[in-house]
Amino acid sequence: MNNGTAESPFSPSAEKSETLSNNPSAFLSQITGAKVAVKLNSGVEYRGDLQCVDGYMNIALEQTEEYVDGVLKNQYGDVFIRGNNVLYISSI
Amino acid sequence: MATSQLLPLELVDKCVGSRIWVVMKTDREFSGTLLGFDDFVNMVLEDVTEYDNLGNQTHLEKILLNGNNICMLIPGGEPGGEAGSE
Amino acid sequence: MADTGADQLDDTIVSEPLDLVRLSLNERVFVKLKGDREIRGRLHAYDSHCNLVLSDVEETVYVMDDEEADLKTIKKQSEMLFVRGDAVVLISPPTQS
Repeated sequence: MNNGTAESPFSPSAEKSETLSNNPSAFLSQITGAKVAVKLNSGVEYRGDLQCVDGYMNIALEQTEEYVDGVLKNQYGDVFIRGNNVLYISSI
Repeated sequence: MATSQLLPLELVDKCVGSRIWVVMKTDREFSGTLLGFDDFVNMVLEDVTEYDNLGNQTHLEKILLNGNNICMLIPGGEPGGEAGSE
Repeated sequence: MADTGADQLDDTIVSEPLDLVRLSLNERVFVKLKGDREIRGRLHAYDSHCNLVLSDVEETVYVMDDEEADLKTIKKQSEMLFVRGDAVVLISPPTQS
């Protein structure tokens, strides 16, 4: 490890974040494989099993349900969601 | 020589562990306990209330909020009133 | 083409989200776009921006009819089309959907 001050003083290596394991990437590894809700900026929500997420916040879900205004509208086996549309990912 | 200037992300870092009010670029707000964040200010929030444009409130256990559409962060604040705690 | 490295990759393992799209190559996919548009077609190519090339495409556009306050659907067919990635919201292999 280098002294680390120049690049990212707030990286996950900060002890506080590490012990609580609550920085974004730690949270993502916690919830990968679990059921999640993904809300898009449009308000549409997808609920399914989280397969993986990448650095753009592109998301792959399995067994996905699409909710518009809280009403189930569609079901998909697998879904790729383009990250720029994502508002949040929530554990449920 | 150290300056006393506080970098924006240092302010966010000081908020880790405490309540925070997030105002999005769109007409949407969140309040919750900030657990962590990254260089893009993507944030992990716990015990979250989401406020949408119609005034509906939704409670969320724990979320990763995309930093891309965040407008403003207010430490300790809650939408619709000042946080009363000292 | 699969070289030895690709062989080791289990074809069905999704280790990053775009793998789902890779696994849909030459399959019929469902694509949801911005602006209440949906597309079904055979996926020929994609890139990291989610630019897509699709063939035998059926496009559905949902429009609110202001006068009658109805939701109208407009269908269009295309032999081959290119989708710019920034319009993409979602891509799904059409397995029973």
